[in-house]
Amino acid sequence: MNIVACVKQVPDTEAQIRVKPDGSGIDETGIKWVMNAYDEYGVEEALRLKEKHGGDVTIVSLGPARSLEAIRTALAMGADKGIHICDPALDGADAYVTASALAAAIKGIPFDVIFCGQRAVDDDAGQVGAMLAELLGIPQVTVVTKLEVNGASIRATKPVEGAQLLIESPLPCVITAQKGLNEPRYASLPGIMKAKKKPVDVKNAQALGVSAEAKLKVLKFVPPPARPPGKIISGDDAVAKASQLVGLLRQEAKVI
Amino acid sequence: MERVTFSVGNEGRQVFWNVHDFEWLLYAFSVVALAIFAYGLYRRWKMWTAIGKPEMRIDRIGERLKALFVNSLLQLKTFRELYPGVMHGLIFFGFLVLFIGSAVDAVEFHITEPFGFAFLRGRFYLVFSFLMDLFGLFIFIGIMLALYRRYLLKPDRLGYREERDNTPDDAFALILIALIVATGFVVEALRISVTHSPWEYWSFGGWVLAEVFAGADVRTAEMFHRILWWLHVFISLLFIAYIPYSRLLHILTTPANHFFLSLKPAGSLEPIRDFETAESFGAGRLEDFTWKQIFDADACTRCGRCQDGCPAYLSGKPLSPKKLIQDIKTHWLDRAAIAGKQSSGGGEASGAGEPAKTLTGEVVDLHELWACTNCMYCMEHCPSAIEHVPKVVNMRQYKVLTEADFAPELQLTYRNMENNSNPWGIGAHLRADWAKELGIKTLAEDPAVEYLFYVGCSGSFDDRGKKVSVAFARILQAAGIKFGILGTEEGCCGDSAMRGGNEYLYQSLAQANIEVMNRYGVKKIITTCPHGYNALKKDYPNFGGNFEVYHHTEIIAELIAKGKIALKKPVKGTFTYHDSCFLGRYNDIYEQPRTILKAVPGVKLAEMERTLSQSFCCGAGGARMWMEEDIGERINDMRTDQAIATGAGTIAVACPFCLTMLSDGIKDRKREESMAALDIAEIVWKAMDRDAAAT
Ligand code: SF4
Ligand code: SF4
Repeated sequence: MNIVACVKQVPDTEAQIRVKPDGSGIDETGIKWVMNAYDEYGVEEALRLKEKHGGDVTIVSLGPARSLEAIRTALAMGADKGIHICDPALDGADAYVTASALAAAIKGIPFDVIFCGQRAVDDDAGQVGAMLAELLGIPQVTVVTKLEVNGASIRATKPVEGAQLLIESPLPCVITAQKGLNEPRYASLPGIMKAKKKPVDVKNAQALGVSAEAKLKVLKFVPPPARPPGKIISGDDAVAKASQLVGLLRQEAKVI
Repeated sequence: MERVTFSVGNEGRQVFWNVHDFEWLLYAFSVVALAIFAYGLYRRWKMWTAIGKPEMRIDRIGERLKALFVNSLLQLKTFRELYPGVMHGLIFFGFLVLFIGSAVDAVEFHITEPFGFAFLRGRFYLVFSFLMDLFGLFIFIGIMLALYRRYLLKPDRLGYREERDNTPDDAFALILIALIVATGFVVEALRISVTHSPWEYWSFGGWVLAEVFAGADVRTAEMFHRILWWLHVFISLLFIAYIPYSRLLHILTTPANHFFLSLKPAGSLEPIRDFETAESFGAGRLEDFTWKQIFDADACTRCGRCQDGCPAYLSGKPLSPKKLIQDIKTHWLDRAAIAGKQSSGGGEASGAGEPAKTLTGEVVDLHELWACTNCMYCMEHCPSAIEHVPKVVNMRQYKVLTEADFAPELQLTYRNMENNSNPWGIGAHLRADWAKELGIKTLAEDPAVEYLFYVGCSGSFDDRGKKVSVAFARILQAAGIKFGILGTEEGCCGDSAMRGGNEYLYQSLAQANIEVMNRYGVKKIITTCPHGYNALKKDYPNFGGNFEVYHHTEIIAELIAKGKIALKKPVKGTFTYHDSCFLGRYNDIYEQPRTILKAVPGVKLAEMERTLSQSFCCGAGGARMWMEEDIGERINDMRTDQAIATGAGTIAVACPFCLTMLSDGIKDRKREESMAALDIAEIVWKAMDRDAAAT
């Protein structure tokens, strides 16, 4: 079975995000970059399929040079090889350009099932997986929490408001992974060491023949407004405190 | 043989009296017994050398001989406990004196007497006889104490919960010794009953017993003497021959283990140096242990002292350090037998062949492996100098590094440490926020300070821990000590990674810290966390981090002694101090925290029953802080109960992990109203009464 897992390198969710003064992006100094958590579920599912059905797992990622680390992380977990789409021309690619580049890279290799995270935690767009399936002309099941593969088709569980959908699809198809699909593994040390020697193909836009134009343009990054500091209610006893609280809820918060 | 006559003034006794015809026969049997002994030892030797990686344990001979002297000859560790100490001491010193006595006897008889110099005469003989009888009696009493304890008292430590450990070998060894002594006394008594030498009351045992045979005629007495003598000889030789095939072998293996003991700091581990090319890390199979780690198992006497203070065992987890070592021993006996066969068949003594059991999961249950808090109780009190903790960590390394198969909550902890250099995974940029309002400079701002205050993760991120950092920083400021912090350049010390088997992560964290510390030319470091203290002080030198490291209790004690801080405001109440394992057993810091508490006006100190080197772990060490505790009782609750029993209103601690665990224990026991856990620094800061000045 030929399995592909797409990954994106994103800032650690705990990292301090500072917007550049000119609003053109975020200041990357001091940021710890990690593999997008939802992509990890995808990689883990890919590895489990491989363990069950044989085959190999290819990791595809688009991003600057540092993204190689995310690919290596997936290789350390047990994936076999990587394709790194690395091209300054693709910096700031929107979902459409990203999906086009991924599609171009994946078209060049055999694939039976493609995993993506259901969204990336940096821009929270949640579009690439779906677009990728469209560009490749194959079915997709998004936000999957359970997956079974039998021969030439899959059965995927997808939570929807108050219920679960059980969806069947032929292969090949795109699956976007949701939390709950699995518990991603911790890479073993021999795995980490072997990952350093696994092949990673670096490709640029030209080599892939990607000429897609971005459909979205980010105008400006602005930091969220600072949260006003919390108030500690003081007062001699419970009655005094309560009356102060009521006053504040009325006048300041205007909720009662 | 020429007969010597003894008389008052020239006291002595005829060696081989009544049995001199059998002298040659005795030697012939002795040779047989020694041959059986030697063969057993030879076989054991082959087993000791069959499996195990090399390890240097014969360097620094002087220190090793000292350990041998103190632990084997003086029995200092055994004497730490009264009953078993006295029991073993009686047998041990009894044997020692009887052994020396027999040697003296033999030297006189075979070497000096033929040259006309007999020194076992007169007063020397009388004292000699007296001592031989006295120590013979000691052995007998010791054996009786042992039998009583093992078969009637049945202490928990001589078993594993409901199961008793007792094997036929245990009983046989004890009875054998008892019979040697008993027959010895009877032989002596029969001799005295015939010879009637008036000075023989010095051999008081035989003298008293001789009364029993007083009425017998000489011929009968002589005949019985001969029979009993043979019995005595036979049992004694059986004893010697039996040693290598029984638990008696500890007479040799335990002293050997004292000699081979680790000269490294308590609980320290050999760092893994080759991450790049090795295929396997840690100990997944017996063959991954060093020869010494395996030899340990053979030196274990099943005394059970380790088990008696093991927090994992006592809280109902499957782990018992004794059982762990014994399980390894049983497995080793199997493997070594196979390896022995292969080597005699000309093959390599690798112990390979049929797939061997894995240590991790088959020989040692994984719940046992992960239950250990690395509290060091077992190693501190093992009279045989067995090193349990490094074995546990080596096996964990196999699970974590080689197999990456371990508890999900610990995986999360490690990811957090990888991504944000702290176990909680709180953004690394927030590390110095606790210090925002204190005006403490980072070394980047001012590297010219006397001390680096290495705050650690708890002190930086945990709400309770942050308060301790603030209190301690204020104490330093009030005392006018020049210190700085690393701010966001500080990283996790890595202790939990190391003790949880993630040596790779540990080393990367350690190296990052060392790099920063060396860049600023740091010389002296203070920590408030004993885990960081131990790692920085004992383990960082392995990676080029050589610093003078102090725990904050050492610094505070000194500030008080030098009068740099004044504790004037009474902090009333009864306090009990909980010894942190990593401070006490690992680093021998027991006194300073107590000295500090005693210096606080109004403090009444009450000790818990398990205290000082016997202290009971809070449950957080060995990466247990980050793991679920779902078997048995919670260790922190048990420790809290022990504190409650003292009647104290405050549990004083000197470790942020203990602080968390015991605060949780107080909550679990619904004592928040009447009890609190406080760090020593917080108590001192209260007593300094400077809050108004500081804020
Ligand atoms: S270190 Fe402590 S918890 Fe671990 S086995 Fe020894 S006594 Fe038990
Ligand atoms: S490991 Fe040490 S303390 Fe524990 S049973 Fe064996 S000899 Fe005794």
